[in-house]
Amino acid sequence: MMSLTTYLSSILTLAEFELRKLRHDSSQIWIRGVQPALWLLIFGEAFSAIRGIPTGGFTYLQFLTPGILAQSVMFVAIFYGITLVWERDLGLLNKLLSTPVPRSAIVLGKALSASVRGVFQALVVLALALILGVNLAVNPLSVLGVLCTIVLFGVCVSCLSMGLAPIFRTRERVMGIGQLLTMPLFFASNAIYPTSIMPDWLRVIAIVNPLSYAVDAMRALLVTGDFSTIPQDIIALLVATAILATMASLTLKRMVS
Amino acid sequence: MTSNVVTVENLVKTYPRITAVDSISFKIDEGEIFGFLGPNGAGKTTTIRMLLTLIKPTSGKITVFGVDALTDPAKVRQISGYVPQDLSVDGDLTGYENLLMYSKLYGVPRDGREKRIRSVLENMGLQDRSGDLVNTYSGGMMRRLELAQSLVNRPKVLFLDEPSIGLDPNARSIIWDFVKNLRNEFGTTIFITTHDMNEADALCDRIAFIDKGRLVAIGKPSQLKSTVGGDLLMISSKTPGCGAKLKGLGYQVISNSPEGNFEMLVSNGERVIPRLLEDLKANGMIVESVALKKPTLDDVFQKYTGTKIAEEGETSVEVRRTRRTLRKLRR
Repeated sequence: MMSLTTYLSSILTLAEFELRKLRHDSSQIWIRGVQPALWLLIFGEAFSAIRGIPTGGFTYLQFLTPGILAQSVMFVAIFYGITLVWERDLGLLNKLLSTPVPRSAIVLGKALSASVRGVFQALVVLALALILGVNLAVNPLSVLGVLCTIVLFGVCVSCLSMGLAPIFRTRERVMGIGQLLTMPLFFASNAIYPTSIMPDWLRVIAIVNPLSYAVDAMRALLVTGDFSTIPQDIIALLVATAILATMASLTLKRMVS
Repeated sequence: MTSNVVTVENLVKTYPRITAVDSISFKIDEGEIFGFLGPNGAGKTTTIRMLLTLIKPTSGKITVFGVDALTDPAKVRQISGYVPQDLSVDGDLTGYENLLMYSKLYGVPRDGREKRIRSVLENMGLQDRSGDLVNTYSGGMMRRLELAQSLVNRPKVLFLDEPSIGLDPNARSIIWDFVKNLRNEFGTTIFITTHDMNEADALCDRIAFIDKGRLVAIGKPSQLKSTVGGDLLMISSKTPGCGAKLKGLGYQVISNSPEGNFEMLVSNGERVIPRLLEDLKANGMIVESVALKKPTLDDVFQKYTGTKIAEEGETSVEVRRTRRTLRKLRR
């Protein structure tokens, strides 16, 4: 049996080399940072003018920033299955599976790789929000908390994407399924408006949506300062991640056979 | 006395519509270069993937250095090296990083890592380019890096799936030399699949012919070739009565044409020629030309299966080139 340290170091190794790839080509972070920036700039500024959304005494941009942070990670992670299909097509996945690294460690390592990309993007968005003059509680503790939430949420969503990749098998279909999921995940959540304004059936979706918990935790850290719901947010994300990671590990071998 | 380090018994892999591997059994000795030779789609890659525990057999038994591949796959992977037919190095990382990543994944101890990476890089002549992104490598360099990568865990058995496919003759001979060296110097057991009979002939101690998922023959290249019935000796002579004379001298003539071309089956053709020429001269026959054709593995394959291996070669070369191109396009 493989020891826990070997298991963890395999996961970290996979993420480390994803980071090295980013270092070789950092332009992708900036390019991918544009879309969330536009959400803040265009959507955020426009909806600030409406003042129709109950944001609990905070400005709309304050309310929105954690939502866009989570969204930017989700957009990276939900399409991570495409990378898996691509690596399968090239042969890299076969090679990786021929090492003694357990399947679940490969899944978690790849998921962490997606998160690592998400973290850099989140930092770009956070910096932009501060430049726009959004009043956020930025201190070492809150930033660390936000980064941890982003990593956990990124792992969660990329496990979902990797679990779907072996079922849908081609890049085009995985891309399609990612787009299909993005819409309900993003709009049936508390990212751009509170769930209190939703009809009941939609609120049910928001409750089982991991994005809501990631947004809630980051909103507590950066905006409201009310940390009481953070433990339940983290537990919800951990449970979702455990389920999705197990699913992805079990389906991974279908990818190559 | 050598020992069997890989044993395969009644291995079967069926997919919904086809039987990819149909009850094959074979054994590989320690330090042997063992080749699987057959056309594309014969079941070579499926077999190699089952040996590497990448896919589960439908039935059958595999042991690698005493380890049961079905019950203890991680242990088999730890002692195996693999160079797949497809790409196995990441173009977005440098050559060095590709090796570092895999030595970490195989759990190579930190203190020996750098030394080991340096030695495989030198071995493959890549030390000068190890800091460059693999996307900038030529096909032959990528292949050498893949071989280097497969050695970072010091495998006891190395699986090479079509190791020289799509390479130019120069790059190919580098790979062949490397494979032979690896066996001669370190005693590594090597399993190769190929559809190239020259490669099988040049490299392998023993060859198994595989066709439509079945093993049709297994043995040393020389043994296999001797089963075809010997060398083909061709002479042409315009002297009348030459055919009858050849038969009279005891040669096994299998064809003769009115123009005076005769074909006969002999063993050790190069030794027969001088004697034959003397015999014919003594009998007043004038020989215009002599040619000798030694049997090839392709002839052997044809004897057992009724088809040739060679014709289908091009498609997978194309596939591999396309993949390499794809890889480069991604940049």
